[in-house]
Formats: sequence, C-alpha cells, structure tokens
Amino acid sequence: MEGMSIIVKKVTQLLCGIIFLYGIYIISHGHLTPGGGFAGGAIIAGSFILLILAFGSDALNLKKEVIESSITESIAILIVILIALAGFFFGIKVFFANYLPRGIVGELISAGAIPLYNIFIGLEVASAILTIFLALVIFKEESQT
Amino acid sequence: MTVFLLCFILFLVGLYGVFTRRNLIKIVISLSIMEFSIFLMLILIGYIDNGIAPIVTPGDLNPIYVDPLPQAMVLTAIVIGLATTSMLMAIAIRLYRKYKTFDIREIKSLRG
Repeated sequence: MEGMSIIVKKVTQLLCGIIFLYGIYIISHGHLTPGGGFAGGAIIAGSFILLILAFGSDALNLKKEVIESSITESIAILIVILIALAGFFFGIKVFFANYLPRGIVGELISAGAIPLYNIFIGLEVASAILTIFLALVIFKEESQT
Repeated sequence: MTVFLLCFILFLVGLYGVFTRRNLIKIVISLSIMEFSIFLMLILIGYIDNGIAPIVTPGDLNPIYVDPLPQAMVLTAIVIGLATTSMLMAIAIRLYRKYKTFDIREIKSLRG
C-alpha cells in the first residue's frame, strides 16, 4: 500500500506531533480535567494511525512495530498491576491503596498514585489500539500477495 | 425529550444502513453509527442543565455536576465497541480474501 498525495503527507507532517503532544497533555492532566488514560491513549494511537495511513505501510517496518507495541502493552499493564499490588505494603493495606502523599488539590503533581495509573494506562491503551490496527494492516497485506 | 428522539432517529439511520447497503465495510460503519447513538443516549441520561465536569476543585462557585456514572459505563462500552468493530473488520478482510469482493450479493456459496 503506497501513501496518499503530497498534500496529505505535508499536512500529516505538520499535525502529527501536535496531536501526539495533545495526547500527552490529556494523560498528564487526567486528575485535574476531563480525560485521562483511556482518552489520551486513544489520541496518541490516532497520531500513529494517521502517520501510517498517510505514508503507506511501506514507510515503517510493520512486523517489527507490532512486536514492539504488543511488548509495550504487556509491560505497561504489568506495571499498573504492580503499582496496585504495592498498596498491600504501604499505608493502609488494601488493593489499589493511594499510598503516595496527596499534595495540594488542583496542582499538576498531586493526587498520590493516580497520575501514575493514568500514565501507564495511557501507554497500554495507545499500544493496544496500535496493535489492533497493525494486525489488520498486516492481515490485509498478506491477503493481497 | 427531544434529544432522546434525535438519538432514536440516529439509531434508525444506522439500521437503514445495515438493511440497504451491500458493501461489507458500509455495513460495519452503519453498525458503529447504531452503537454510538446508544452511547449518546446513555450520556444524555446523566446530563444536568448547567452542570460541569464532575471533578471537585476548591473555590468552585458552581456546585452542580453532571452524573459521572453513565460516563464510566459508556467508557467501558466504547472499549467493547472497539473490540467488536475490529473483529468485524477482520471477518470482512477474511471474506475478501476468500471471495475477492466486499459485495454481499456475490458471497453466496456457504461451503467450508
């Protein structure tokens, strides 16, 4: 699958980084504003999908990419479970305990462990959606040959 | 009440697409439209007039928040919708590999 026209490629080059940064903003402000891990991860995956759709599947080494994204997904969800399990050892001993210091309400670094959950769930969602998309692309490529 | 009626009209648009289109990809898109009309209705059930996002911040002069419970439910439903849509796309690609077409009138033989 070759890419699209030069207009689409140029606009994608300009917009792709901005979309990626907006996803990072949504994830990192997940405990202050609407949004969070899932919404930001979907936006980050959208920036990658836009890149692949505009430049065609020859621009990237998709087989390597899908292995890396599925490894990232597994490691991120494992870290989320480990952070939740750490609640058994600090403070009040329950699952998903918020053991870190809370900070001041309304600041960026506050709310204890919730930003950590947001960050790793964002990584997990982004790589999971990218894995689904890449699996469909590779499936279609193999069916054409 | 009007907004729920509009959601129902959107649902009927998706149903019309499922019944009349003959391309498999367009059928999948119509199913997604039906799905999202249901999500819109569930979100609108939890909406309160002049309500803001349910995040408590100090010094908030407007103490009316919208209901966060349908939002959490719809977030789960969106994930399930993503999974079903990707599964439908995989089935469509597999049918394309076997029959070399997306037209459902051409896909007649139900052999193995």
